Amino acid sequence: MRDDQEAATHRGDTTGPDDLVQTLAEIDVDGALRETADAAVRATRRDLLRAIPLAGAVSAGLLTARGAQAAPGLTKNDVAILRFDLALEYLQAGLYTEAERLGAVKPRTLAFSRVVGAHERAHARAIKGFLGSKALPSPSFDYRGVTENDTAFVKTAVAFEDLTAALLKWQAPRLDSRSIVAAVLTLHSVETRHAAWIRHIVGVLPAATAFDQPAPQHEMAALIASTKFVVSGWTTIRRRKPRFTG
Amino acid sequence: MTRRGLLRIGLVVSLATAVFVVLLLRPAAHNPRAPSEPNLPNLSAGPQPAFAVGRPQLLQRATAASRWATVGRPVTALRAPGGRPVTRLAAVTPEGTTNLVDVLGSVWHRGVEWVHVRLPLLPNNTTGWVPRSALGGYHFVTTHLVVSLHRLRATLWKDGRVVFSAPVGVGQPQSPTPRGEFYIRDELTGYASPFYGPVAFGTSARSAVLTEWPDGGFVGIHGTDEPGWIPGRVSHGCIRLRNRDILRLARLLPVGTPLTIT
Repeated sequence: MRDDQEAATHRGDTTGPDDLVQTLAEIDVDGALRETADAAVRATRRDLLRAIPLAGAVSAGLLTARGAQAAPGLTKNDVAILRFDLALEYLQAGLYTEAERLGAVKPRTLAFSRVVGAHERAHARAIKGFLGSKALPSPSFDYRGVTENDTAFVKTAVAFEDLTAALLKWQAPRLDSRSIVAAVLTLHSVETRHAAWIRHIVGVLPAATAFDQPAPQHEMAALIASTKFVVSGWTTIRRRKPRFTG
Repeated sequence: MTRRGLLRIGLVVSLATAVFVVLLLRPAAHNPRAPSEPNLPNLSAGPQPAFAVGRPQLLQRATAASRWATVGRPVTALRAPGGRPVTRLAAVTPEGTTNLVDVLGSVWHRGVEWVHVRLPLLPNNTTGWVPRSALGGYHFVTTHLVVSLHRLRATLWKDGRVVFSAPVGVGQPQSPTPRGEFYIRDELTGYASPFYGPVAFGTSARSAVLTEWPDGGFVGIHGTDEPGWIPGRVSHGCIRLRNRDILRLARLLPVGTPLTIT
């Protein structure tokens, strides 16, 4: 599957700005993303909770409502929302950091990644620090060649930044704590600036609409799971007696 | 001046005074030139943000990090992209952990991305090429472990700074520790074997002498039940540290770290 994807990504080198996608649903990393998005709209929350773990999102902490315990002074609802945001910040920070380290994207995109990567890492540190023992560790990611191809990378970046802003917009009125709303809003405006910046880089309208729509969290979870960027099921540490030469 | 004239003057002055007083006492809101007063509700200060985002930190020496990847499926490593086979790379190590490879670079060849990797293979220091599709996601480390067979010392570098240094025991003359460029493959803990100490790291290095050793004769980095032999040339090829040193190293050494034995 990856060979096909790589070939498609390679062919994507000739894609012009007009072809650039606007949402994560249009990245279609494995050909199933659109179907997953459609299914997500129809599915009940219970269905999603059952489906997403198959994509390895449970270990990643993307399923936040289940298993979330209220931290002192925090409601269970707020912990769940912040855990989801932390997982998303991990995902974005990993994307930009990997792009910067590989250095395979164009200089203008690389400069964007360098700055935005620093922002996303700072966001993750802040949320993780606030959640304390309730924070989940970062999962492992496989960006499936996206960080090695400029066109694929900017498509993903546009989608992530647009949707992160939309997600925070959906979450804000659902938070119990007004002080957490105030904190999340400090992130929201930065994410919208990122969205405008990467849109400007790729030549699409930075502010496409007069009003932005929120993106529901459960749809976002299904979409992220369908990208298969979050991976699990491997280990490099084991409880076992060595058989090295000694 | 006649009395009538005085009355007229008095009347004019009275009228002028009355007009002046009326204008003076007129409410400001009714004067289009007067500044309007704000009519705002008494807003509270509002909640303080529950957390604040700290100063963003740019990556230092971004391209200096070493890259590794898990082996996603068994794959044949080639001498060159599209070239002759070198070895079959398993997805699992002899220790039962996920196999991984250090990544040295990548190229596109006939529409497929090929990745240049270091191989856990004899002769030591062998490299090969595998399709990107056979590997998992990339991981990065900024650590580098250097073992000097001459100085009998292990030194761990992180972000260009020494963060660990300790004496080691290395291979005896008849079973020498191999020299070259390798990497840390896995970490084993929780076993009951005083000989290996509390922690053992698997490496991609292999003994060129003990080829019949179980599981392929891989060189490990581990603790010991004979701390008095360290430093020294005392092992079958493994790199031995005192238990307190291997425990300290275990807190600092991530898998995938490049290992130079010189």
